[in-house]
Amino acid sequence: MASLIRTGSAGPIRRALSRFFENGAAVAGLAILVPILLLTFTYDLWWPYKPNDIDLLAMNRGPSSAHWLGSDGVGRDIMARLLQGGRISLLVATVSMVVSTFIGFFIGAIAGFAGRLVDGATMRFVDLAMTLPPVIFLLVLASIVGSGILPTIFVISLLSWPVLSRMVRARLLELRERDFVVASRGMGAGLWHLLIRHGLPNTIDILVVYATLQVASGILLEAGLSFLGLGVMPPEASWGNMLNAARATNVLENYPWQWMFPGGALVLTVLAINFVGDGLRDAFDPRSELK
Amino acid sequence: MNRRNFGRLVAATALAFAATTAMVATPALAQAGKTITGGFDVGPGGFQGNFNPMTATAGFTWLNTYFEPLVIYNSDLSKLVGALASEFTVGQDNLTYTFKLVDTKWHDGKPFTSADVKFTLELAKNAESGGLFAARLADVASIETPDQHTAIVKLSKPNSAFLSVLGYVMMLPQHALSQIPVAEIAKSSWWSTKPIGTGPFKFVKYVSDQYVEMAAYEGYRGGKPKVDRLINRYFANAASAVAALRAGEIQFTFAEPDDAKTFKGNDNFRVIEGDSYVVNYIGFNHRVGLWKDLRVRQAVMHAIDRNAIVSSLFGGAAKLANCGYVAPQIVPKELINYAYDPQKAKDLLAQAGWDKINGDKPISWLTYYNTPQVANVMAAMQAMLAQVGINVVPRALDVPAYNGIVRSDKWQDFPMIYAGLQNGPNPASLNVGLNGSQLPPVGNNIMRVEMPALTEALNTAMAETDAAKADSKWQRVCKEMNAELPWGPLWVASRYGVVSSKLKDFFWTPAPAGGPFVSHPEKWDIAP
Amino acid sequence: MLQYLLRRTAVGLLMLLALTVLIFILLRLTPGDPIDAYINPSVPMAASDVEMLRTRLGLDQPLPVQYVAWLAAALTGDFGYSIQRSGEPVLQLVASRIGPTVLLMFSGLAIAVVVGIATGIFAAVRRNRLSDLSLSTAAFVGISSPAFLTALLGLYVFAVILRWVPAGGMLTPGAPFSIGDLLAHLILPATLLSIGHGALIMRYMRSSLLEVLSQDYVRTARAKGVREFWVIVKHAVRNALLPVITLIGSTIGIAIGGAIFIESVFDWPGMGLLMINAVVRRDYPVIMCATLLTGACVIIVNLLTDIAYAAVDPRIKVA
Repeated sequence: MASLIRTGSAGPIRRALSRFFENGAAVAGLAILVPILLLTFTYDLWWPYKPNDIDLLAMNRGPSSAHWLGSDGVGRDIMARLLQGGRISLLVATVSMVVSTFIGFFIGAIAGFAGRLVDGATMRFVDLAMTLPPVIFLLVLASIVGSGILPTIFVISLLSWPVLSRMVRARLLELRERDFVVASRGMGAGLWHLLIRHGLPNTIDILVVYATLQVASGILLEAGLSFLGLGVMPPEASWGNMLNAARATNVLENYPWQWMFPGGALVLTVLAINFVGDGLRDAFDPRSELK
Repeated sequence: MNRRNFGRLVAATALAFAATTAMVATPALAQAGKTITGGFDVGPGGFQGNFNPMTATAGFTWLNTYFEPLVIYNSDLSKLVGALASEFTVGQDNLTYTFKLVDTKWHDGKPFTSADVKFTLELAKNAESGGLFAARLADVASIETPDQHTAIVKLSKPNSAFLSVLGYVMMLPQHALSQIPVAEIAKSSWWSTKPIGTGPFKFVKYVSDQYVEMAAYEGYRGGKPKVDRLINRYFANAASAVAALRAGEIQFTFAEPDDAKTFKGNDNFRVIEGDSYVVNYIGFNHRVGLWKDLRVRQAVMHAIDRNAIVSSLFGGAAKLANCGYVAPQIVPKELINYAYDPQKAKDLLAQAGWDKINGDKPISWLTYYNTPQVANVMAAMQAMLAQVGINVVPRALDVPAYNGIVRSDKWQDFPMIYAGLQNGPNPASLNVGLNGSQLPPVGNNIMRVEMPALTEALNTAMAETDAAKADSKWQRVCKEMNAELPWGPLWVASRYGVVSSKLKDFFWTPAPAGGPFVSHPEKWDIAP
Repeated sequence: MLQYLLRRTAVGLLMLLALTVLIFILLRLTPGDPIDAYINPSVPMAASDVEMLRTRLGLDQPLPVQYVAWLAAALTGDFGYSIQRSGEPVLQLVASRIGPTVLLMFSGLAIAVVVGIATGIFAAVRRNRLSDLSLSTAAFVGISSPAFLTALLGLYVFAVILRWVPAGGMLTPGAPFSIGDLLAHLILPATLLSIGHGALIMRYMRSSLLEVLSQDYVRTARAKGVREFWVIVKHAVRNALLPVITLIGSTIGIAIGGAIFIESVFDWPGMGLLMINAVVRRDYPVIMCATLLTGACVIIVNLLTDIAYAAVDPRIKVA
């Protein structure tokens, strides 16, 4: 891999990758992230407990050789729930990232390429979406579409895309008047062609960085939604709704393993993703070569 | 060298900043005089921000510190006693109620008279006022005031629940409210700025969403209150109130069962445990087709290990219910007890042909309880039901969404609920939830229970005004519920309040809707 | 320029109108209305009385009729009464929350700005040393922690266990107003609130300063023998502050909406708590008025940002 990157006249993406792998924090982030992903996605192969198996005779037990991370208020194994919760939280964050990146890019790119009138209308629409107070938007949307995995994904995606649209549009506006775009337009290229052939390559750095950081903020948003009683509903596990147990003073004080482990896992994962995202941003930023 | 200087500058700035913030962070000094601060409107019995007793569906613990009704439940909620009525009698015809009024004054010094009683009841009876009593007081035919201290209420037909409804009707001052047009009363600022009552404390001020302050009413007929001020602090949730209690900022609050546990054995606090008078049940939507066969409903009951749930998740603090009631005088001896028996549940389901009725398709299970305890309880029941082949998916909603859904006619949206309904002190409370004539939008029979035998039993019990004979009538209701399972009855759980041991002669009980009950706020005292 | 301003203002007003329509529709799609919020499911009450309330509030009328009625009143400055609180005019209610929210947000931001800029400068100067690495890592952890968790833990540790500060609220109930009391209640939520912003500002400050430090004029200054301290303070920091100021500016627009998690954990009587309560109780008039206010703030800030960009960067035509 490394040798591949360093060979000859590397393209911008390759140069970015090589810069990325020289960034200690970013590599550390990857080193944290990969094991977490592995554990989360394979746990049912090697861990004996299921996340929703209750055991009323083993409630609120501390970590032991049977339950490595203890058990919760209905005797469910925290380890199993932690890993299942991670799977759900990452799933929610990743899917909502894909959705919001998709929407964000297309709306931003259309605004950037499709001419003044469309641009103005689209951007006012984006502004409108940004004007909605997140509190109300979250609460109202969640009570309309209900709570659960899909609605949570829906809410997080809808909340996140406008920022990306603005960034994409700003980048493409500069491009709009350039010769090659004008030329391909003159040759009758459709909007779709413009978006894919010119829009995508010219904003790929923004997209990659946004996507990475959006996964991190998706995890945090899911946790926040769960705190407000929305988000992924128990008994399905997610890091957010596991953390929500800390609201009860009793749990906060007497059963710390019930919130410390999901809390730790969440912070660690978000941290790792942020490291990676930051590394990617530096890697794609041409100015960083100067440093 | 230069860089080091710079580092010092930064460090010094940070230190100075920390020092200034630390200096100003000295808590305010305590006030002169005795003050009791509490979270009186925390939990299901509270209603923060509502000051109009005619629109109150809860919050009576607090309202009762300054308003008073004619009659009131005594402190163990076993019977009605006089409050602003020193004595009350029911005529032979069961239609005429005579109230002898106490001699007392409103907080502004004007005397309390029978004219106030007439004014209040007529206002409460008038739907224009925006109050919630109009239907419940619909039987009131006339209110007569032969003299200043006597009020006679005549009903158009006998109503065994009339006195207990009156227990919620707080008397209001005619001289202060009669100028406000009836339609404007509900949104008048009078309620939250200058209300006057006859209770031991008088209203001082309400700081929006933060607290309500009361001062002792020196002229209270039961004696001048022991403390000078009473403060009701508002909290967004019970957990914050518990934090404030532990930090010593308040002396009383409702607490969730799990939080109450942490105070047990702590000498600085006293935990009050009381019957919630709310029976929890699994509601079967009778219009949805899943639950038509009695054997299916029985299977649900046999599938759930209620004893295990009560002993573990409730820590023993709940009574099993095999019908809507747990009060011994209403529960007949020969009830089916629906013991935990998963095999029997499976057999019953097989006989009923559950495979054809629903099979393992997920059934949405709604609740409006958003507490961690209920989440655990429902998760446990979900696992138990899954064992016998009933696949339920719990879904907790906020109260308006829940009400909006269960009061609609989209049956598929609420095939099953986990809910509670007040079952005491007056057993007639369950009528609105089970009587076939109480289907929405008329009543609260949200599960659309239409069982003629049960409806008949309820009607008979409701019409019985002789207290001595009433119990056996309610026993019939219980037996009917137990055999036919309009709901899957589960348990009546305890509720908790936690009091600082600094408080003396403080009385509170977790009554439904917060009361009202005899609590003698004038006797409450606090050690320095 | 004036024409541009007028046009943007007109567009802004139209957007506010669109916003109210949108929120109005969203609210009505939400299951449950103010009357449903009133009903305590565990308490038996006559449903017919409840239906009467619904009629009184006009909630049984067709949606467009309700919206037009609201809009007509709102245009005259009448935002109605809160449905769930006996007789509190909405405008007064919402206005009373601006103060606490602004106080909390700005104290939080002030702490974040001071600490963030100071540590940012410090980290940039000490680039890649242990102190820089630990500060940068701490900032990352700050960005990566869920706000409600730090709020819960902060409240528990500093108010319940250590009792250094009061456990929530803005003023001691019943006590006469004093600055000390207010600050005692403010310090913990403001500090916790500053963590996220501070961490972000620190990272911006650090990278921005590093960039400036590598530029020619700084090298020139150094070469001229200007002392390093003055190089940093006089030349570098001033220039490096520019992007940081943009960042702070963009935060202010959102700030008026309140810090939902901190406000709800600390029972801080601000806009965030008001909105949560209003949504939970479906208090339509309060939600509409609060949305209008926060929407207007965001629009104004967006407009100012666009103008500022145009002023700074001549390449961007105000379009």
